[in-house]
Amino acid sequence: MLQKLMNLNRHVIFIFVALAVLIPTLIPMNLPITVPEQTQKLYDYIDALPPGSTIMIAFDYGASSFAELEPMAEAVMKHCLDKGIRVIGVTLMFDAVTLADKLMEKVAKEKGAQYGEDYILLGYRPGGTQVILGMGNEIARVFENDYMGKPLDEIPMMQNIKNYEQIELLLDLASESTVKQWVTYANVKYNLQIAAGVTGVLVSDMFPYLQTGQLVGLMSGFLGASGYEKLINAPGKGKAGINTASLVHLLIIGLVVIGNIAFFVQRLREK
Amino acid sequence: MTQQIPLALCFLFGIVMILTEFSPHSFSQKLYEEIVNWGLIISPFALVLAVATLIQTHWARIRHRAEHWQYSLFVFAGILIMASLGIPTGPKNPAFEWFFNNVQVPMDATMFSLLAFFIASAAFRAFRARTFEATLLLITALIVMMGNVPIGNSIWNTLLSWTPWVDGASTARQWILDNPNLSARRGIILGVSLGVISQAIRIILGIERSYLG
Repeated sequence: MLQKLMNLNRHVIFIFVALAVLIPTLIPMNLPITVPEQTQKLYDYIDALPPGSTIMIAFDYGASSFAELEPMAEAVMKHCLDKGIRVIGVTLMFDAVTLADKLMEKVAKEKGAQYGEDYILLGYRPGGTQVILGMGNEIARVFENDYMGKPLDEIPMMQNIKNYEQIELLLDLASESTVKQWVTYANVKYNLQIAAGVTGVLVSDMFPYLQTGQLVGLMSGFLGASGYEKLINAPGKGKAGINTASLVHLLIIGLVVIGNIAFFVQRLREK
Repeated sequence: MTQQIPLALCFLFGIVMILTEFSPHSFSQKLYEEIVNWGLIISPFALVLAVATLIQTHWARIRHRAEHWQYSLFVFAGILIMASLGIPTGPKNPAFEWFFNNVQVPMDATMFSLLAFFIASAAFRAFRARTFEATLLLITALIVMMGNVPIGNSIWNTLLSWTPWVDGASTARQWILDNPNLSARRGIILGVSLGVISQAIRIILGIERSYLG
């Protein structure tokens, strides 16, 4: 019996995981939501910006991790548009641009924001580090046109924005190591304030930059997304995500504990 | 000549870019901006090179009937469909967006989602308190997992209400991330940075030439 438990068939575990994902998806749950300290700092930073300020959101994630990062983008953009803060969308990843366009359009429609006046999507340019450095000199030299193909000098909200000096914050929503690039090249060289929203697996990489103050705030996975949604009082996909994540975490903790109890009991019997 | 010219260009631009970092003179800054612009012009060629290599590799697989060569046909189908829709009409083409939203997004998301199943299975098998180090890893993982979700605090506050620590799960997780994790990460960052600097010096001076092929 103990041996069976210790060598539990992986397909049984897969069924448990599937149930832990499906149950909170089908039956809405009201599990508690807390706001991590770093997410609160990001919210406070954006909340303190005066109307008319500009922030840049870098949508540096692909389709594989949009479920975790899109709720963050949605919550921050809602917060900005509510406060009268203008949003510039950009991406260093070619497959993110369609996702960013779809999300920005959706949030703008909900908030009654005007393209070109309240928000704009620059799109994608290849080059990574070169794009970050180039925008520090002059955004229009990297992106002559926006994602729609309209020249930047014809877009009202870009009239007074030349480079990072007119941007109050860069929020990098990342599923890869782009946060380090933004910190190294945009923060250190151009003194642009950086915040990050990252997938759960990247969180531990961010703490050295938080401690030095090179990141003004951080959202980590569904925990950060649901926390930000709570702060702006607009529960959405982040809340649904943290409910699912909570059950899957509990399941894994339970499996690990049961596996270890079985392991110890068997070892005692062998002695 | 095929070796000397790239080496000379690498040395020249490497040294110039280092010098511009330390000189606030307007000529130096103008030079820096110009070189960054050149970089932006050169970058798209890497994409062209990547597509050419992809086509070359998969064409060879089909021609030699290599194992699972049939999958390479899907690579060509994908490139042809998306390029023929996207290049002439731009990424706002409804058909281009439809393929992206209904083919690429679900496939990518599915691949990533499978991780949850394998992580659960691997955690169950790997996290056994067999040795002192394994026990340490196990306890740390359990605390971080508990602190990662708000329900972890609720469980802590219910089961361990007699302890003086309220919200102990997230507090302990935060301590682990802020102290042992931060120290180890910083060590890694410093080590990697020193490695990158020494490798950059080797490349600029032409000692390291593997990038020439």
